[in-house]
Amino acid sequence: MSLIVDVAEALVVELNAGSFSQTLSAQRHYVPSFELPDMANLHVSVVPKGMAITNSDRNRNSHDVQIDVAVQKKFEAGDAAEIDPLMDLVEEIADFFRLRRLSSYPNAHWIKTEHKPIYAQEHWDELRQFTSVLTFTFRVVR
Amino acid sequence: MADLLETGSNWLQGQRKKHATREVTYRQGVNSAPVQATVGRTVFEQDDGSGVIVRTEIRDYLIDAVDLVLGGQAVLPERGDRIEETNGGKKYAYEVMPLGSEPHWRYSDPYRKTLRIHTKHIATEDA
Repeated sequence: MSLIVDVAEALVVELNAGSFSQTLSAQRHYVPSFELPDMANLHVSVVPKGMAITNSDRNRNSHDVQIDVAVQKKFEAGDAAEIDPLMDLVEEIADFFRLRRLSSYPNAHWIKTEHKPIYAQEHWDELRQFTSVLTFTFRVVR
Repeated sequence: MADLLETGSNWLQGQRKKHATREVTYRQGVNSAPVQATVGRTVFEQDDGSGVIVRTEIRDYLIDAVDLVLGGQAVLPERGDRIEETNGGKKYAYEVMPLGSEPHWRYSDPYRKTLRIHTKHIATEDA
C-alpha cells in the first residue's frame, strides 16, 4: 500500500485497540460519506489528507503525512450533558497520539496535531450533528 | 373592500388542505398532536469543507398555522421538533432544522396562514 494509506491504516489499528471513555470503531475512508439517520451512532473516520516530502539526508526523504480523524454524532438537544463527553473523546484521541510512534507502522512518529474545526458549525446548525476533526501529522523518513 | 389576493390565497390554502394533505404527528418536547400536512421532498447533500459529507433527505411540510396546537396552546416550530409519518408499516421521523441560509420555518404565504417547515430525515423504524 502507499505510505499515506499505511499510516492511515496504522491509526485505525491504534484507535480500535485504544482505551477511551466511549467505545469506538474507527474506519478508514477515502471520502467519508454518511446518511444522517446513520449518525445517531458515534462515527470515527480516518481519512488521508496530504503529504509533504522534503530532503532528510543524502539518501532519504522526510515524509510528513497528514491524516484527518473525524468524530461525528447526531445529537438530540445539543446541550453540555450531551456534547461534553464528545469533546472529551476528541481530546482523548488527540492526547492518545501525542508523541506516539505507531506500533503497526513504527517508522511513523507523531509531529503535531491540529484541531480544526473544534466542531463544524454548519453541521451543528443544519444537521444538529457534532462533527470535530483532528489533523495528525506523522513523519516517516525513508 | 376585501383583499382579492388574500381571498384567493385563502381559498387555495383551503383546497390544498382539503385535497393534498396527510395526517402526520407533530412532536415538540413532551407534547404531540396529529396535524394535516402537505409534503414536499428534495434530496440534499452537505459537505462541511473538511471533506466529511453527510447526505440527508429534506422534506418541507406545509401546515396551517392554526392547526399547530400542542398542549392546548398554539405554537410555532422549534429546532429539534419531530414530524412523524407512517407509511407502509414504517414510521419515518423527520427533525425540524434550518435549510442553508433559510431558518427552520417561514410562512409560505403573505398572510401568515400556512407554515412551511424544513425538516430532515433522521430515522426509520417499524410502526
